[in-house]
Amino acid sequence: MYIWLPLSSSADLAQLEQHIAPEYSPKLVAQKLSGGLSNAVRAVMVEGDYVDKDYRSTYYNFYAKKGQYYKADCVRLHFFDEMVSFGDKTYRLTCADDRLEDHYFGYMVLRPTGIATIGRSILSPDVRNGARGFVITAHHKVHLLGYKLKIQGFPSMDQHVDISVCAHAACWSVLRHYSERYNIYREYLTHDITMMAQQFNPGGLVPSRGLQISHAERVFQEAGTFPVHTARDVNKTDAAFYRQLSAYVESGFPLFAAMHNRGHAIAVVGLEWRKSHSALTLGLRYAWDEVESLVVVDDNHLPYLSVPVTGGTPYSAEDIDAFIVALPEKVFYPADAVDRLAPTLFKLGAVVDLPKPDETIIRYFITTGSALRSFVRGRESEFDPRLLQTIMTLPFSQFIWIVEFSTEAEWAVGQISARAVIDATASLRERMPLWLFHNRKHALVFNRKSVALDLATGMGTLSLADTGHTAFTRMDQNLRPIQTK
Amino acid sequence: MDKKEDSIFDLIEDLKPVDPQAIAEFERAMDDEVIPEIVRVVEERRMLAAESRRRQLKC
Repeated sequence: MYIWLPLSSSADLAQLEQHIAPEYSPKLVAQKLSGGLSNAVRAVMVEGDYVDKDYRSTYYNFYAKKGQYYKADCVRLHFFDEMVSFGDKTYRLTCADDRLEDHYFGYMVLRPTGIATIGRSILSPDVRNGARGFVITAHHKVHLLGYKLKIQGFPSMDQHVDISVCAHAACWSVLRHYSERYNIYREYLTHDITMMAQQFNPGGLVPSRGLQISHAERVFQEAGTFPVHTARDVNKTDAAFYRQLSAYVESGFPLFAAMHNRGHAIAVVGLEWRKSHSALTLGLRYAWDEVESLVVVDDNHLPYLSVPVTGGTPYSAEDIDAFIVALPEKVFYPADAVDRLAPTLFKLGAVVDLPKPDETIIRYFITTGSALRSFVRGRESEFDPRLLQTIMTLPFSQFIWIVEFSTEAEWAVGQISARAVIDATASLRERMPLWLFHNRKHALVFNRKSVALDLATGMGTLSLADTGHTAFTRMDQNLRPIQTK
Repeated sequence: MDKKEDSIFDLIEDLKPVDPQAIAEFERAMDDEVIPEIVRVVEERRMLAAESRRRQLKC
């Protein structure tokens, strides 16, 4: 039931074919893994007779109804580094430092379906060849041989082809991340996703005929999220569309993204910043202008595929023409409004001075009031005590938009000149949807305790003392850096 | 008897009133340009989403 395969390099994964039955397509899986995993993977544990809840959900509802016999159990592959060894008599996994979790790179379930056999997988982005940048992850628990392991990654699986397509797989990935990351969301199995996309049970192979993006929207609604569907005109360039895409990813929300020219859907789970700044974009710039590539989970590839902004193979970020972000309730002020409001804040320069617009990079994202306070608490020395007092005192809504302003030099070292805090529950037509706007010298504070905001009494300014810091730290919180191994 | 709630501003030390002239340009831009633009863009985005909804995804 357990087979331990030490590897001298990832090419040795071809051994899998000798140990795994053909209905799990071990040869194809080995080829995919040997090209996609780094040589840091030095051992594979093959766990047979594995009961996988996602496969079972499709087995009970589809495969068991077929004339051809399908097995009920899966095989699970676990990946380790060179520090781990296995005792075949004791079934013990050992490593010198006794920290097994630090030497574990995740798992991949293989389904007995003959085709598209890669099922539920949580792999570390650190061992994925070609993965670069920052990625949204959650901690996933793994039970193996009496050990409780944790792996930080993003869920992925191949589509089943016959009963689910790429869009189902992308919805599943996003929702499985939510159920692990946020305890208010329950877990949905593969077959649940297929059912949630329709108003009634479509039966048989109907789901394999594809989904419309409205079906994916329905899946996210059924799961208790509040999906926002953003599309661009496919015949025009729309920089604001991509600025919003990167803003949501930076906020920690993985995106269901559609490329209608390819009829394909993926999950966008991370991004990579440009190494050096080019002068290609003149004038005011946004965080999106600094993105080199997106990190995506595509069911035709191993996870964490790096997709360049433009001119990529098999596709580029510019092929994405619609996305769904599954937001929590209470994000009412849309990203389009933030995108238009942010550059208008330069007009408050008489109170809060900003760098020159054509030397500024604007970055905006959603976070919570408590996350902002926690961030500030961790960097108390950067803040005048009265500004810190203000941030701790203002009765922020649960969700806030943050807009950060950086010069190019500050951007390069993860710093900012100024920060605005916008109420994510504000109405579209609000003239002052802000809680706070500050740089190092001044802060503009808004009293949102009254709907009838009297500008004479509803705003105040603070002159801030020099704390000795030349800039504030950029608020990078939701994405984990990929540390290639 | 109702106790008058402290204004949040009473809790922040050294807060000064804002010179109305300093924010006048921002207010004018919001009223005349930005809010109408936001309303237009949000409506346009809604229409684009409605068109996009029916496109097929399958591969």
